[in-house]
Amino acid sequence: MVVDTIKMKSLSDRLAAEEVKGRSLWADARARFVHNKAAVAGMIVLILVGLFAIFGNYIAAWSNEELDFGVMGQIADLGGPSFENGHYFGTDDLGRDLFARTVQGTRISLMVGIVGSAIAVIVGTLYGATAGYVGGRADNIMMRAVDILMSIPYMFVLILLLVMFGRSIFMLFLGIGLISWLDMSRIVRGQTLSLKHKEFIEAAQATGVPAFTIIWRHIVPNLLGVVAVYATLLVPLMILTESFISFLGLGVQEPLTSWGALISEGAKTINYGTLWQLAFPLFFFIVTLFAFFFVGDGLRDALDPKDR
Amino acid sequence: MLSYIAKRLAIAIPTLLLLIIISFLLMHAAPGGPFTQERALPPQVLANLEAKYGLDQPLWRQMTSYVWGIVAHFDFGPSFIYKDRTVNEIIAQGFPVTLTYGSISFALAVLIGVTLGVVAAIRHNTWLDYLAVGVSIGAQVLPNFVMAPILVLVFTLWLRWLPGGGWEGGQWPYMIMPVVALSTSFMASIARITRSSMLEVLNSNHIRTARAKGLPERKVILRHALKPALLPVISYLGPAFVTMITGSVVVDMYFSTGGIGKSFVDSALNRDYAVMLGVTILVGALTILFNLVVDILYAWIDPKIRY
Amino acid sequence: MNKLLLSTILSVGLALPAVAANVQAGDTLAENQEYTYWLLDAIKSMDPQINTDVEGSGIMRSLFEGLYNEDQVGNLVPGVATGYELSDDKTTYTFKLRDNAKWSNGDPVTANDFVYAWKRLADPATASEYAWYIELMQIVNASEIIAGEKPVDELGVRAVDDLTFEVKITAPLPYFPSMTTHASVFPVSQKVIEANGDKWTEPGNLVGNGAYVLKEHILGEKVVMERNPMYWDDANTIITKATALTINDENAALTRYLAGELDRTSVPTGQYPKLKAEYPDQAVSVPQSCSYIYMFNLDEAKGPAALKDVRVRKALSYAIDRDTIVDKILQGGQSPSYNWTHHATAGFEMPDIDYSHWTQDERNTKAKELLAEAGYGPDNPLKLTLNYNTSEGHKKIAIAVQQFWKSVGVEMTPNNMEWKVHTDKMQNQDFEVARYAWCGDYNEASTYLDLFTSYSGHNNGKFFNDRYDEVMKESKTAADPAPLYKEAEQILAENMPFAPIYQYTKVEMIKPDMRGMSLTNLMQNWYLKDMYRVAN
Repeated sequence: MVVDTIKMKSLSDRLAAEEVKGRSLWADARARFVHNKAAVAGMIVLILVGLFAIFGNYIAAWSNEELDFGVMGQIADLGGPSFENGHYFGTDDLGRDLFARTVQGTRISLMVGIVGSAIAVIVGTLYGATAGYVGGRADNIMMRAVDILMSIPYMFVLILLLVMFGRSIFMLFLGIGLISWLDMSRIVRGQTLSLKHKEFIEAAQATGVPAFTIIWRHIVPNLLGVVAVYATLLVPLMILTESFISFLGLGVQEPLTSWGALISEGAKTINYGTLWQLAFPLFFFIVTLFAFFFVGDGLRDALDPKDR
Repeated sequence: MLSYIAKRLAIAIPTLLLLIIISFLLMHAAPGGPFTQERALPPQVLANLEAKYGLDQPLWRQMTSYVWGIVAHFDFGPSFIYKDRTVNEIIAQGFPVTLTYGSISFALAVLIGVTLGVVAAIRHNTWLDYLAVGVSIGAQVLPNFVMAPILVLVFTLWLRWLPGGGWEGGQWPYMIMPVVALSTSFMASIARITRSSMLEVLNSNHIRTARAKGLPERKVILRHALKPALLPVISYLGPAFVTMITGSVVVDMYFSTGGIGKSFVDSALNRDYAVMLGVTILVGALTILFNLVVDILYAWIDPKIRY
Repeated sequence: MNKLLLSTILSVGLALPAVAANVQAGDTLAENQEYTYWLLDAIKSMDPQINTDVEGSGIMRSLFEGLYNEDQVGNLVPGVATGYELSDDKTTYTFKLRDNAKWSNGDPVTANDFVYAWKRLADPATASEYAWYIELMQIVNASEIIAGEKPVDELGVRAVDDLTFEVKITAPLPYFPSMTTHASVFPVSQKVIEANGDKWTEPGNLVGNGAYVLKEHILGEKVVMERNPMYWDDANTIITKATALTINDENAALTRYLAGELDRTSVPTGQYPKLKAEYPDQAVSVPQSCSYIYMFNLDEAKGPAALKDVRVRKALSYAIDRDTIVDKILQGGQSPSYNWTHHATAGFEMPDIDYSHWTQDERNTKAKELLAEAGYGPDNPLKLTLNYNTSEGHKKIAIAVQQFWKSVGVEMTPNNMEWKVHTDKMQNQDFEVARYAWCGDYNEASTYLDLFTSYSGHNNGKFFNDRYDEVMKESKTAADPAPLYKEAEQILAENMPFAPIYQYTKVEMIKPDMRGMSLTNLMQNWYLKDMYRVAN
């Protein structure tokens, strides 16, 4: 699962070609987005999942760390989903409420996805915009560095990072974010190159606006479309990466949890008559990932319409 | 083109060096060493061990002698944990396994994925299209660590059709589940990418022209549409390859295939410095090589690109 | 089970009958005598002096044979040695070796092979991680050789003649003969090692004196062993071929067991009751010599101030509901623990520990009182972190204990770290409370109790008690150490340098037609040569 770079390229070409004012661009895009059923459905799902993450705790009858001694030890028989004892999604192996834990896991996974992709987008945008704007030797070196970094098996480095710094949530954000800014920086650089020679930039240069201000004030805002699409498509990838890390046992600390941790726990016990432990977290995981893909694709298609 | 390849290969060397340095430093900075055990070793025994494996040397010297060993003798050193074996032996045993099931998975994912994608695009908005899209939606995001236990449960325990693990020199019954577990999500992604790019190509002007000329549909698709439609698929292959190596960790863990994926995770956790570096370098080199192959393929298919 | 009695008998030169596969009356052997079992991880080394782990030792016992073996209940039975004599000062053992023991290449096994192997274990050039074992055996000059202060030739072992092996130890050690069953002191062939160098453990090169030879060893996949026709007791050996499969996930292993691919596998935490109900003749739970505790850091500089107060330590220990942990989490017949030494250890008498008789409510009440006395309460809650290493079982216990402690007003943060980090932190006293487990090296209480002496290398919590040291020193030469061990346990209970939690059982699934699995051996030392399958 990766972001389709060709389509991203097409999108950035188009956005670079658009009129800078771009009011109509966004208005058109909104109209097109609203007509894309899959994207709208994805948006609705994301909103629902978001509400679940924020307000789920108020519905939960149990906290995410309480042990239910009444079902503990007989999970397969008593720990199933039930409205009577308040475990709507059943319990985990220790008798903790799976509903509360899914709410909690949703928060962490969404946060990892969003923060991770935000880091990737910020670093990638600044790096790419700088390289593209400054140009020349610096651009050459910066892009060569990206080439080199691209050939590093990042998952290996991420595992090493987590081994070295211990399992901290901060490290997870940072590690996941830092490994995925490379593609972003290439796309942004390409677009910056085409923006650079636009009149409004040249005008700014002529009036002596410092380079950094130009990048920040004039280039970055024009990159917004690409960035938004890329970020949306990156979130599910981040969530997938986190789930793999959790599977390896290097994810977040108990009593915190994540979809990846819940799913890998559930997958281990599929043969022990506690299928709900896999089913509920997996459902949220799959539904959310697809919603992100649909929304991302929808956004891109809305901003980069092809004659179909 | 040749000079482009030469340039790319020249970059590979500093890349690998950088990779060695990063991994080496991270590894040594991690708490604990290869000989850290629940029952602490007496200091003298630990000193003997460190002397034997050269860990008593300053870090820069360990690193230079390590790099020199590789450059001069292609010797990746002894394993610190599997003490009967050298890293070369561990890789020589595990890598062919990973390569075998990896390349079969890869080939299958591309073949079936592309076919599925093309068929879905041609039969756009028919039940076949919906089926293909539906299947690929589920398969794409199902983590392989969920897929693997389900496969074992169904095909080994319930149906008793396939052995639940092992490699046995690569006999086909042992290969089926690893390949399925590894390739499914890529297959689905490739199908999705092929479908959408095929749809785009089929709507483009030059296909309309080809059709207008009265060429048979089969010819239109195979001769004119397929090649450009494959471009996005090819650019997807590079990252897919890397992700697949990561996926081999799961395969090795669940199916006892004895590949190198597991060696990496184990060596990082066991602080088996030499094995960890060896596998990282191998995967790094493969990634570089593979990205290069993808670029060449890309240039071959898309005549607009010149290097 | 009385080791002392056994060694007295042996010392007057009486040899016990050797037992190979001892087929019980009424058992009919099955036609298929192949055996497949589960390994969590790959075997790290096939070299007896390099091997460090339990799984490896099992394979060592099949490929090699030491002076003595253990029978089904753990008593000593002759291996290569047929008997021994002990000098009057109890520091010189003279082992008589059997004349029909052979290496798998046909060479005879001689006393020189033992001399070579034991020196090899101590030799700094070998850099064995188990070199400390020969120090533990108190062999003359062992410590100096390991430290590089004396040449390896000065180790107190000698081949008097081909069939007489003499060992000198520094002080009497009543359980010395039982220490010879350990894989680290198995003989190896000098000729083979010198001919093949580091490659001597590869299948084809490896020459052993055990009942089996190594056929295949594929890292991460499997180990295959077949019969060694040169073995002196091959006629009484039954299993023809044994395969150990590496499966990194115990749930996957169980699925494959149920599919008939394995004859023996472990039961994942919490699954025993269900499996027992479904397969009563296959699910087994037997005591295993390991003890699980939460260690408190009492280090002068690094230990938290709160834990230096014995009242706090007691309160923390009292508040752990061991019955819930054992009955509802582990569910594998483990026993709740209020002391350190495993209860089934040979010759060990359980001391009377007061709080083991209380109800959990009484313990909780007492815990709250003690905490209040120590100045902790709702306004000033005690805050601690617990380190544990990544594992499903450890995690479950940590989470449960967090809740138990919460109920007496202690806020505990569980801190999961991978194993190497956990160990490193423990050994550097970088912890407050840490999960710890110890498995006995031999079936005698000192293997546990020595750990809390001030001079022990494993006393990570830095508990120091002069009386405790005295008692343990005294026990080494005492005719009957049992009362001293009892006193040592009392000192631990009074000072509570750790909170005992539970004592292990080995919980497994074993095919109902397997026999001779050494389940009644507390050390869980099984011998392939003793196993056999019966016809259903």
